Amino acid sequence: MSERSEVPSLATDGLTKAFGGVVALDGATVEFRHGQVNALIGPNGSGKTTFFNCVTGMIRPDGGQVTYQGRDITGAAPHRIVRAGLGRTFQLCRVFPRMTALDNVLAAVRPVGLTGLLRGAHVRADLDRARGWLTRLGIEHLADVEARNMSWGQQKLLELAGVLMSDPETVLLDEPAGGVNPALLDRIGTLVRELNAEGRTFVIVEHNMDLVMSVSDHIVVFDRGRPIAEGPPSLIRSDERVLGAYLGV
Amino acid sequence: MPSASEPTTAPATTSPATAPPTGAGTTRRRTADRVVQVVAVVLLAAAVLAFPSLAPNPYILSAGVVVLNYAVLSTSWSFVGGFTGYISLGHGALAGLGGYGTALLVTKAGLPSFVALAVAALLVAALAVPIGFAALRVRGASFVIVSIALVLILLLVFQSWASLTGGSRGLVVPRPFPDLLRPEHHRVFYYLFAGLLALALLAWWMIDRSRFGLGLKAIREDEDKAEALGTPTFAYKLVVFVVSAAFTALGGGLYALWFGDLDPVFQFSILTGSYLVLMALLGGVRNLFGPLVGALVVGIGLEYFKVEFGDTQLHLVATGLLLALVVLFMPDGVLPAIGSLLGRMRPAQNSIREVTAAELRDQRVAAAGAPAAREPVDAVASTAGERAQSTEERA
Ligand SMILES: Nc1ncnc2c1ncn2[C@@H]1O[C@H](COP(=O)(O)OP(=O)(O)OP(=O)(O)O)[C@@H](O)[C@H]1O
Ligand SMILES: [Mg+2]
Repeated sequence: MSERSEVPSLATDGLTKAFGGVVALDGATVEFRHGQVNALIGPNGSGKTTFFNCVTGMIRPDGGQVTYQGRDITGAAPHRIVRAGLGRTFQLCRVFPRMTALDNVLAAVRPVGLTGLLRGAHVRADLDRARGWLTRLGIEHLADVEARNMSWGQQKLLELAGVLMSDPETVLLDEPAGGVNPALLDRIGTLVRELNAEGRTFVIVEHNMDLVMSVSDHIVVFDRGRPIAEGPPSLIRSDERVLGAYLGV
Repeated sequence: MPSASEPTTAPATTSPATAPPTGAGTTRRRTADRVVQVVAVVLLAAAVLAFPSLAPNPYILSAGVVVLNYAVLSTSWSFVGGFTGYISLGHGALAGLGGYGTALLVTKAGLPSFVALAVAALLVAALAVPIGFAALRVRGASFVIVSIALVLILLLVFQSWASLTGGSRGLVVPRPFPDLLRPEHHRVFYYLFAGLLALALLAWWMIDRSRFGLGLKAIREDEDKAEALGTPTFAYKLVVFVVSAAFTALGGGLYALWFGDLDPVFQFSILTGSYLVLMALLGGVRNLFGPLVGALVVGIGLEYFKVEFGDTQLHLVATGLLLALVVLFMPDGVLPAIGSLLGRMRPAQNSIREVTAAELRDQRVAAAGAPAAREPVDAVASTAGERAQSTEERA
């Protein structure tokens, strides 16, 4: 496990969001440390995805503040937040269905200036980097296949490859194990640990407790839009509030 | 530490020798496709350029000018509608603005015709910034409705501001080449439109192959996802809308100089926008020459109906029917449909789909957990030892 770092990577202060009468986030104050694999768990509808959406700028929170590496990013456009180093996947895996796997990954390239924009989308350096990520995720043989023709598990790997192509310092994963087979689950767990060892911070929303317990350094438990417990896996496993709220025992 | 790999932030890149996952068959098929495409383009270009010499009379030649004008406009439309998937019915109005802009700059400001054309296109491009700023905030059906509103508003303005635009009495545009006889006039403008078309196609092609183009196509596929990958989607849409508006205005302005008479009812018509949508969808918006081919088919059809049936509403019925058929049976347009037909006529070769099916099978075997079939798992650059360790941790 990585040693505990004291540098906060991503932090929220009193984050609030309601959809009509439904309070999805209820003054959530959370802090995720740099260099760790963090897990965010909680029952269905406890606001985990809404938390990701508010943090990444996809949804504007009603109140509260989001800071990333000390910078206030509340309400910033999603592409700016990505460029600040915060990448994410979606709960219902999102890829570009009618693009090849390769183009899906290349879409994360960040062109600089007019000449950068007008450069070919398939220049050598970009291609090598994109292929590298496909290889690392074990789907390089699908490079020329359109995403819509790939299996669910392959699409999840592809989405992750795209996010990694944007070179995020912090990666938010929304249910990476959702609907994938045990072999792939292992692979994702291993990959997360490797990428973490290479310096990337993770925040993982996940219902699969095996994965959460094996992969994370720190766990935050959500219930009704706010954290109710946090700590290392060994502590969370036996926390009564968590058992009550989440595990239903 | 369950990781033995080097702590680099970039992934290991594959060596060029092993990188292309495409087999020799795919490469050969691509080369063959290339050849077919090049031949088709050369033939099309030759046919377009030879047309004025082959046209039996000035009327047919003028119909050719109309069709090329449509080709310019539908190609310009597809900068927005094709790349980003934002369906605008308002492009007729941008062409109308280009036409009136050119005409007024000639008549009121006394600019030379083609200087007026260029200035008008620049002005329309500038105006497209606030228009796009408002319209591109909404997606799907809402965008379509906003684009229709643009046409209606401009129609009202240009009809009621008669002191400037001549209102429904029309606005006469002086000819740029007053000495030319009618057939020569058509011929010159035919080639001017062909040149403008070539320019629009070139710009489309440059964007299509660029990183900017890939970003636009990502917007078409899933705008929020594109934004979440770091693409400044709004800026991308706005820029390509302005480019589209500029080319559309050039088309409209050139039309004004050719036709010599403008009436708001025809310049600001939703029908024009609808034709452009039909042409682009018919030919196929994912294709460089799609809108052009669609314009040839629909444009020639419209001219034919005009000759055969006069000024009836019959062409509208035919147009509507054609649109329904295309959307139902050829959602990608005729060019991809022809492409796949050609593909089926070729000797049996693995299609990409079949490769995928094979991959899916592999995946299923892997899912069953057969250790021998777990090759792709090892490609994650993990060693068996690491995997064992992570399994231990979970236990
Ligand atoms: N766009 C939306 N519009 C309306 N209500 C929403 C929206 N997004 C989330 N909600 C509501 O907010 C609450 C929290 O939803 P959220 O998706 O954040 O939960 P979650 O913790 O991710 O749940 P799960 O584990 O099932 O994914 C739910 O009651 C949900 O119905
Ligand atoms: Mg969720």
